[in-house]
Amino acid sequence: MTTVDPDGGDPQYRPVFVRAGRGGWGQGLELTPTPDKYKVISVTGGGIHPVARRIAELSGGEAVDGFRTKVEDAEVLAAVINCGGTARIGVYPRKRIPTVDVFPGEPGGPLAQFITEDIFVSAVSPEDVSLLEGQAVTAGVGAAAAGAVGTAPTARTDAAEGGPAGGPLPPLPDESGTEDRAPRGFFVKFGTGVGYIINTFLAAARQSINLTLNTVLPFMAYVSLLLGFVIYTGIAQWIGGLLAPLSSNPIGLIGIGIVVALPFLSPILGPGAAVAQIVGVLMGTQIATGALPVQYALPTLFAIDGQVGCDFVPVGLGLGEAKVETVEVGVPAVLFSRLITSPLAVIIAWLASFGL
Amino acid sequence: MEAILLAQDQPPPTGASTNPVLNGIIWAGEHFIGLFNEAGKQFAGLITGILPTLIVLLTFMYAVIKFIGEDRVTRAVQWSAKWWITRYTIMPILAVLVLTNPMAYTFGRFLRERHKPAFYDSAVSFVHPVTTFFPYANAGELFVWLGVANGVMQLGQSTVPLAVRYFAVGVVVILIRGVVTEFITNYLIRREGKTALFDSYDAEYAATAAGGSAR
Repeated sequence: MTTVDPDGGDPQYRPVFVRAGRGGWGQGLELTPTPDKYKVISVTGGGIHPVARRIAELSGGEAVDGFRTKVEDAEVLAAVINCGGTARIGVYPRKRIPTVDVFPGEPGGPLAQFITEDIFVSAVSPEDVSLLEGQAVTAGVGAAAAGAVGTAPTARTDAAEGGPAGGPLPPLPDESGTEDRAPRGFFVKFGTGVGYIINTFLAAARQSINLTLNTVLPFMAYVSLLLGFVIYTGIAQWIGGLLAPLSSNPIGLIGIGIVVALPFLSPILGPGAAVAQIVGVLMGTQIATGALPVQYALPTLFAIDGQVGCDFVPVGLGLGEAKVETVEVGVPAVLFSRLITSPLAVIIAWLASFGL
Repeated sequence: MEAILLAQDQPPPTGASTNPVLNGIIWAGEHFIGLFNEAGKQFAGLITGILPTLIVLLTFMYAVIKFIGEDRVTRAVQWSAKWWITRYTIMPILAVLVLTNPMAYTFGRFLRERHKPAFYDSAVSFVHPVTTFFPYANAGELFVWLGVANGVMQLGQSTVPLAVRYFAVGVVVILIRGVVTEFITNYLIRREGKTALFDSYDAEYAATAAGGSAR
């Protein structure tokens, strides 16, 4: 059985790589059909999705409308879905079937823990499906048609008689699939459009709740403890008394602005804006009790923030792909310019605070 | 749990017993729980006052960014990198709004080496004023502004006038910081005799920009 049977008995299988689309998730999937696992099911509300057809075309597998026909899990090479982020997104990864979601979305829903990078990729469009360069996979049984594996590209040209014409990357198949009965026209476009928008808002909501749970709520708990302690024990009034002379006149504020921006001090005060946030909270208690008039809040906000980011200069420059010499020059430049711009900011804020 | 709730509802015992030790223990017990009741009240205030608006605003903003997409913004950023007036206003604002803290500084890659410190200085100085209207941009450091806004809210006034001024002055300050830091960076380059080196970086930057392959 050395020659490849052209009429599809043992078609030429090719490895295909599916990468994540724009705003998608996942490192991408490498799919290689085998004689007993070559079906690409398209579970996208009926019909065969262009992405599913393209994967089947390129890999030599077979696209199946998973909405209408039942396919054994063992035979499924990959499942193409347009999932809202709850059900299908979790079901196929749970069965360890490589899943290609045409909508953007991160692992979510009740089965989120099964969705891993080696089994799921999202926001995929037909352009994101590509052949893995060069080697054509010899089918389990037969050798490559032209025998020599080396000449793989030519071998592929006459491999699958019904398959697409040769050439490195077959053109996108046109819509006139053989038994493709997908609903067509305005409603499909409108439906997928609305589906995409709703899915994006859902993904955004999921991102906001994650952020709240991981960042905002913990900080609120910590700040409330601080507030409770400071208010209940009356230290707030004592601090108010201490800060009042400083923060109720511009000279005091400018003084704070300079002290905070001292080059040897600002990197210590900078981390996580801890100092700025604690003073912001304490200032809030002073404003609530009326000890600090609201118009002095504006210059004070700038007075206590002269050190923002001074602990992060080298890392921030690194993020901007700065060269070594740039960081050597940049760190002192930023620290020394703060000595000028921090008090200057307080003056500008004080001028802008009239009429509050 | 019941003990805590009981202590919370029960008014402090009026007829204290004569035994001073018992009084002391009761005093300590009351104030110990009183402290955490106050903290609990503050936490409830934060949750009801700030969190609902914050979560809905975060959702809206994340969706808008997903729709706009980073690559559309990249072209606008590269355009704004040309002149100092836009390099220290529009560019840091776009960077912080679209990429949020700390990824905003990666837009530094579109600049000449000599401009990177100044861009970083102006972008990082915007991460606190931006939380007035766009808290998602720096959700880790909300309480610089929220601490103050919480006080103004408890005073019964609206926080918007203060927020608008904080944002506006923030923009003016980041422009000044950018210009001053750029000036000092150039001065340091000259003083440490690295002018030739940075000129070569500028040439290299011009080449890549001309080649249209700006990363």
